[in-house]
Amino acid sequence: MSNQLAFYFDASACSGCKACMAACKDRSDLPVGVNWRKVFQYGGGGWVPDPLDPRYTLPNNIYSYAVSVACMHCENPLCADVCPASAITKQADGTVLINTDLCIGCRYCEWACPYGAPQFNEGTGQMTKCDFCVDLQAQGLNPACVDACVMRALEVGDLDELRQEHGSIDAIEPLPLANITKPALVVKPHRHSSPSGQGAGRINDPFAEEV
Amino acid sequence: MTEKDFLSKALTDIALTRRSFLKWSAALGGSAVLAGGVNYGLKAAAVTAAVGEATWVPSACWHNCGGRCLLTVEVVDGVIQRVKTDDTHEDTPDFPQQRGCVRGRSQRMQVLAADRLKYPMKRKNWSPGGGQKELRGKDEWVRISWDEALDILSSETKRIVKNYGNESIYSVTQGDVNRTLRLFGGHASGWGMTSWGTWVDTPLITGGYDVRYSNTGNDRLRLRDSKLIFMWAANPAVSSNGSPTYNFLQAKKAGAKFIFVDPIYNDSAMVLADDWVPIRPATDLALLLGMAYVMITEDDPEKNPLIDWDFLDAGVVGFDEDHMPEGSDPKDNFKDYVLGTYNSQPRTPEWAAGICGIPPYRIRSLALEYATTKPTTIINGGASTRIHNGSSTSQGFITLACMTGNIGIPGAGVGLSCHNRAGNAGPALVSAGGSSVPGISNPVDARVNYNQSWEAVLTGKYIAAKDDIRDINFQMIYHGGYITANQCTGLSKGIEAHRAVEFVVTQGHFHNTDARYSDLVLPITTQWERYGTFTAGNREALFFSSQSIEPLYEAKDDMWVAVELAKRLGVDPKEVEPFPLKQQIFNRLVGAKVIKSDGSGYEPLVTITASDIAEMGVEGEPQTGKIPYKEFKEKGIYQVPRSPNDKFGFTEFEDFRNDPEAFPRGTESGKIEIYSQPYADKVTGYGFSVKHPLPTYDKVTEGYEDTFGDFENKIKGDYPLQLYTIHYQRRSHSIFDNVPWLREFFPQEFTMSPSDAESRGLKQGDQVLISSRHGKVLRRVHITERMMPGVVTLGQGAWVEMDEKSGIDKAGCTNILNGGIYTDQGNLGFNSCNAQVEKYTGPINLEPDHTWAQRIIIEEA
Repeated sequence: MSNQLAFYFDASACSGCKACMAACKDRSDLPVGVNWRKVFQYGGGGWVPDPLDPRYTLPNNIYSYAVSVACMHCENPLCADVCPASAITKQADGTVLINTDLCIGCRYCEWACPYGAPQFNEGTGQMTKCDFCVDLQAQGLNPACVDACVMRALEVGDLDELRQEHGSIDAIEPLPLANITKPALVVKPHRHSSPSGQGAGRINDPFAEEV
Repeated sequence: MTEKDFLSKALTDIALTRRSFLKWSAALGGSAVLAGGVNYGLKAAAVTAAVGEATWVPSACWHNCGGRCLLTVEVVDGVIQRVKTDDTHEDTPDFPQQRGCVRGRSQRMQVLAADRLKYPMKRKNWSPGGGQKELRGKDEWVRISWDEALDILSSETKRIVKNYGNESIYSVTQGDVNRTLRLFGGHASGWGMTSWGTWVDTPLITGGYDVRYSNTGNDRLRLRDSKLIFMWAANPAVSSNGSPTYNFLQAKKAGAKFIFVDPIYNDSAMVLADDWVPIRPATDLALLLGMAYVMITEDDPEKNPLIDWDFLDAGVVGFDEDHMPEGSDPKDNFKDYVLGTYNSQPRTPEWAAGICGIPPYRIRSLALEYATTKPTTIINGGASTRIHNGSSTSQGFITLACMTGNIGIPGAGVGLSCHNRAGNAGPALVSAGGSSVPGISNPVDARVNYNQSWEAVLTGKYIAAKDDIRDINFQMIYHGGYITANQCTGLSKGIEAHRAVEFVVTQGHFHNTDARYSDLVLPITTQWERYGTFTAGNREALFFSSQSIEPLYEAKDDMWVAVELAKRLGVDPKEVEPFPLKQQIFNRLVGAKVIKSDGSGYEPLVTITASDIAEMGVEGEPQTGKIPYKEFKEKGIYQVPRSPNDKFGFTEFEDFRNDPEAFPRGTESGKIEIYSQPYADKVTGYGFSVKHPLPTYDKVTEGYEDTFGDFENKIKGDYPLQLYTIHYQRRSHSIFDNVPWLREFFPQEFTMSPSDAESRGLKQGDQVLISSRHGKVLRRVHITERMMPGVVTLGQGAWVEMDEKSGIDKAGCTNILNGGIYTDQGNLGFNSCNAQVEKYTGPINLEPDHTWAQRIIIEEA
């Protein structure tokens, strides 16, 4: 037991459908532009002339996979470090929460977080982010995203237990290297994914390109 | 106020909208202020302030998507707080929860959206006969009462029938209002397969399917026995979002190899593919014939068996000259056709490669792999036959499965396996009963093919059958849930047609395309606002939904409109609605059946007590079933538990394969007829094309060859790219297009391959003008290597947003690009279309779709 709540994400099963994004927004009443969980695809490869016959073009290592990221509820939450209003705190179970009574909306945490977790709500003028569905967990229920996933690619649990069951990979492209903030995350790689920092692809999701 | 003023008022005047919500029975508490000021009717963010107890009401996710899932809404003090999906039992791969997709999770944003149609409206510049018809699509709107609306509807209907006859009404609604029109003398209809390409008439080849032609192959547990699964023009992660892709993943985990045949490396391939074969749209038949050539020429029954001669001999007609039907020319067999024995074109891999774009050696290796791997399943999406001239394509798939013997063996299969039956074939294990409402037949038999409808409005003629061209004088168009204007081909001409007739009426939920080009718009309730409904899931699940909110504003049920119209037309409303919806629901509960656990037959599903009946206020008798009524109503779902080797496995054609004599197919010979004169006659009989009894190669109109001005010398023409139109994650066809969340997630990008983009000087995100022979649309380009060169794609279902000055559609409605072209089975050939793309340099600046103003036409009074 690590006393750190964590997400498990199975990149090999994720179909990039964004149901988890919608479930989160629905549960938390998030407006357009505020996405506590984000799904986007990463990929690469190209086309080459067929070496056996130049009349034809062949796909060359074309691949794509999706990542679904919310807040990592990090061991070293940079967001909490940089907040000038001390509005972000780490709870006993590892959840990192923004206290909207204190948040002044300076957006410094948005700058600091390498995962894009803190989301500015223009309407309220404050920062918001994934809160691990604390109210649902208090009722013994899973976070909305976990139960929504049609591919069963998300789980929630104790970090140590998740590591025992699924291994300890916590970073794949395009996520940042884990040593920056030590995310409470266990990832099952996709058959085409590279470790963070070693990939040759790029984010190729029209959603992420725009936003 | 003009429409523009209304829209900008809605954007800025949050207080107005907040007050308006309190008037709804749903009593939405207010609107969260949103980025960009866009208000779409959210309740207040202060969820925690809600005091009352929560009840969860299973509410319909009623759309015509491929998933079909359980959706339940949380109601607190009459306000819908949020939705959840299936949690009625523990989730396992064998007995999976029926989880909703990204659209179902956004359902609250659709039903409770600020742009719901609130009141009946008439077009400002309408008058009986049409008024200024040319303003349809760009006019202003006036709120009217239901009385006035129904008076207009009935008087125009009477006037038009009197002047032009019942045939002049082109009614493309679903159900209820057609009952009234039929009692009033009838109405003309449309026909033509939008969804499933040319699979519709293939039962003439195979004998009738056990259930439907989208329900082929194996159930999802037997599918785990497949060694090789071709996902051919199939993308269940998008088109059947819900359980199917999860089921396919189990087959992969059990050891199946997956090969995707598709112009794009699609999202399902991302999860499942071991291999991807890029293929040009509308060229699948060429590939199949090339594969057949390899099998025929390289087959050696001793050393290299590629063809299942035993099965061909026992179960198939038409393969070679020894197995031809009586009365046919023995030389006209499939084998000799492929070899080119009596014609000038052997269908070699080299020939096939020149059309489909796959190198010959790859065609050969695919053929060998298919022929030597048993059991192999081909999972066909509809896309490869949603083309012009496509009847031979579906026929070709069946032919190749017969040749390799991959028919009737557990784990093997071929055919359309899509929608809510994707990868899970077999008779329904649980189903609702009938409503007992008698049908009303249509005295008018005029049926115009959807591809020809708008042309028929303008020319006054249509093809009724071979050598049978008839006159038609459409003067009234009645739109409803089928959303024909936006969803059928030839919309460019369709807009002209809508401005030509005397009267256009739409009933629906939003100011979509059909409503926009109407004279009269009627606000209709959604399934959340009605007593209840049943939705069929996959074969294992039945959903029973109940009302969760009162009708919004002045929205009425479709049936109410039909009854009110009946009263004014002087036909019997009791015949239109013999008994109310709750009685119909009760009848369906009574007749609901579930498979017995030993698989020997069906038994009643629902136990209904006398007090249940009294409480519902219906007529009927108590009965015993498997689960109590109250439990079924509360859970909203009945799902049959399954486990490997239970009694519910299914393999299509299994009986026939094991004993063709004892279990003959429903064809003249009792066998599968890959040479089928009845099939040829049926297709030719529609009057659009001439079909040979074999799966022969015919050039596809606006397929690959039509991208060339001179195909022989490979000189490209004015529309050098192939456009095919995909199901798009934002929508279920055209439904959900207006939900801002979904617009943000899925921006309706136009997709191109890097080489095609580069040669046009395009960069990621540039505005591009896409033109076809039929219209122009404007979008931003998404450049990705996942798209094969020479091919482009755009999601179907966007609501047209015509820039009147330039004639360019800003929304990217694919039916502006697709022409009304009628061929073959009269199916809609969305995936055979030629296009040109160029960087757009005009005055329009496309803002992201999710920032577009919602179509709030009439503000709260």
